Amino acid sequence: MKWRSTSLIVIGLLISGQLMREGRTNPPVHSDVAAPTDVTRALRRACYDCHSNETVWPWYSKVAPFSWLTNHEVDEGRLRLNFSEWDEYASDPDTAAQKLSEIAHLVANGSMPPWYYRTLHSSARLSAAQTDMLARWAEHQTTAYQSAPR
Amino acid sequence: MRLQQKVLLLVGLVLLGSAAAAAAQDAVHEIKLVNGRFEPSQVVVPPNTPFKVRVTNADKAAIEFESFELHRERVVQPGETITVYMPALAPGQYKFFDDFHSDTPAGVILVQ
Repeated sequence: MKWRSTSLIVIGLLISGQLMREGRTNPPVHSDVAAPTDVTRALRRACYDCHSNETVWPWYSKVAPFSWLTNHEVDEGRLRLNFSEWDEYASDPDTAAQKLSEIAHLVANGSMPPWYYRTLHSSARLSAAQTDMLARWAEHQTTAYQSAPR
Repeated sequence: MRLQQKVLLLVGLVLLGSAAAAAAQDAVHEIKLVNGRFEPSQVVVPPNTPFKVRVTNADKAAIEFESFELHRERVVQPGETITVYMPALAPGQYKFFDDFHSDTPAGVILVQ
């Protein structure tokens, strides 16, 4: 009896959770970071779902409680780094340099993309060569922005 | 008023306007982090005019001057002063904070 009541409560909560719809939006793309084709391809596969306004929303983003987690991840990701607003960072070259330096560091040490995202999205798993290519591109761009005229 | 005087007045007004615009564009606002607080915590700037913010870290630990709304993020080492370039902004409030220290009260750039 106790087990049955608990199950009913859990099912009820899950069903009512589906009614709490959160906004899965893709705002307009204002700009984009300039990069060679291979780098752009890797960035789009591994980063753009959370770090751009071009999110490809997975099926589970429609189902609570996964939808809440996904929305939170995308909101947080876009706040921290949004490639669709790259020109805004680039208007302060040292900010752009810092963003790129962080990309190089986090990609090289395997923190980005996060393990749980890689687990669910096989296309986001970067090979060693792709990781190296992204990190080296970001390092090179960091230097370019650091030496840009003010 | 003679034509010559009118021309001189017009040239004077144009020069004055240009000088004012140039001065506004070069406006630099100072913010210092002292004892875990931004001083001042509010900076007032005019709308639609680019400006600069000079951030000095007078504390003993590195800080990260950050603003999500302004798309700015800069690490400032102890004793260091950096210059952050800001674009022309629409009237409103733009929050900035120290991303390395969540206990540091946030500041605001007030555009009005």
